[in-house]
Amino acid sequence: MQSNILDLITIDRRSALEYDTQLKKSIKSLILDKTLYYRTALPTPKDLAEFLIINEKLVKSAYNQLEKERYIHLSKDGQYSVSFFESSNHFFDRNTTIYEVIISLGLEPSIECIEKRIIFLNEETVKQMGFDSDKSNEYLYINRMYFGDNQPIMILENYLPLYIFPNIFEKFNGDDPLYQHLKEYYGVDNITSRRTIKSVNLNQRLADLLNEAKNAPSIQSTNHVYDRFNRLIDYSRSHTISSYYFQTLITREEMEKYLYTKN
Amino acid sequence: MEYIHINKLITTSIYKQIASSITEAIVSGLLKYNDKLPTEKEICESFGISNTAVKMAYEILITDGMIKRIKGKGTYVTNREINHTDLHAFLTAYNAGENISDGYTKDIILFDRIRKDHGIYRDMKLDTGEKCYLIITLVKSYQNPVLLQKVYLPDKYFPKFNKKYDEFNKLYEFIENVCDYKIKHLHSTFRAINASSAEALLLNVKTSDALSFVRTQIVNESDDIIGYVCSYFPGDFTEFEVIADAI
Repeated sequence: MQSNILDLITIDRRSALEYDTQLKKSIKSLILDKTLYYRTALPTPKDLAEFLIINEKLVKSAYNQLEKERYIHLSKDGQYSVSFFESSNHFFDRNTTIYEVIISLGLEPSIECIEKRIIFLNEETVKQMGFDSDKSNEYLYINRMYFGDNQPIMILENYLPLYIFPNIFEKFNGDDPLYQHLKEYYGVDNITSRRTIKSVNLNQRLADLLNEAKNAPSIQSTNHVYDRFNRLIDYSRSHTISSYYFQTLITREEMEKYLYTKN
Repeated sequence: MEYIHINKLITTSIYKQIASSITEAIVSGLLKYNDKLPTEKEICESFGISNTAVKMAYEILITDGMIKRIKGKGTYVTNREINHTDLHAFLTAYNAGENISDGYTKDIILFDRIRKDHGIYRDMKLDTGEKCYLIITLVKSYQNPVLLQKVYLPDKYFPKFNKKYDEFNKLYEFIENVCDYKIKHLHSTFRAINASSAEALLLNVKTSDALSFVRTQIVNESDDIIGYVCSYFPGDFTEFEVIADAI
């Protein structure tokens, strides 16, 4: 967090450019060069207008444009903050835990269990998920929020079969990293994760939990996790906040594999 | 309604004739996703047939997943397949429309030469004023848009860029074989965004619908960003598959 953001935002009164355009450019370049980090709170339009001695409408106009371009975000309580997320992570294309991803973003991770209960799934659902439908249809359902510096980043819903993890409801409290627990208490490792990723609009429930507006864009990942015996041990679905993204580097070697062997 | 053909003199039931006419129109691309179909009443009046025949035809099409009814709005074409792609394959080949296969068409909808674009120019390390070619293409699968792509090629790396590109629908082949660059790597970022009205119009979705947005920097062996690609996929109709092994 910057000690005094007001000092960083400047306008040039001799410039022919409109003040709102100047403000927008100034804030945008501060975000892009990472002077203002993701989640940094911006001054209210009133405070910034008073500081720069300009009309509040011009600040609002600049903020509106930045919000439209997805650089900043207006929360429900009227606070503007940076929503541009400039951090590399590999959650979607590598098998790392969400906990590790949050740490790699330079944030303090925490988990909150919203719901934890035993459910009975019907045969069709069990088959759709890919579990063994001949076994017991009892599953542990856990719905958890992942936070970075106490701000929501991801919501995750897991389904764990009780025929692999007996008594897990009693043993796992929901607020700890899951796979660590599965390894420690059941000797089960997460070896391969098959993910289907798509972009969706958040519904009201998820939007409320992630502190987003309804219909905000979100990366949805549906995951099938297998152990060393290629046994499906976990089915889960995650949704991330709208400013979350992932990066990847494709080397020439990988390119050649796809480009020149495909034909 | 010209796509509905009814012959009352043959033995085939009228409801089947209506259903197959509409199916044919959808498969051929005459009717596209989200196109509105005539009301039952309109068909009845136009062809002088019973309401029951139209109702039955629409029921069949609904069961087949070709059309859907939206209460208070009407009946719409809904046959839009979900495009599955391997994420890594996409980020390499598909990314630049390299693996356009049967049933896919790729149309260049804009050729332009720009001098500024704040976000893009920053990512490409270009100064405002530097010239850059912009090529916008739309990829369709059986008439349904599946990918909107903006390719940026700076003038300084492609000084002799001309209509040659038009003949090449494979970007990397153009960069490597025609322009003699060797690509070192591709750096991509993937995120979800809300469709702007222009993006929505081209991708045949609603404004603010979620899109998968991928930006790719094309880097040559001298570590110059010689090209930049922005890809927009309709979120509801695109799924990326990833298999990740534990490290």
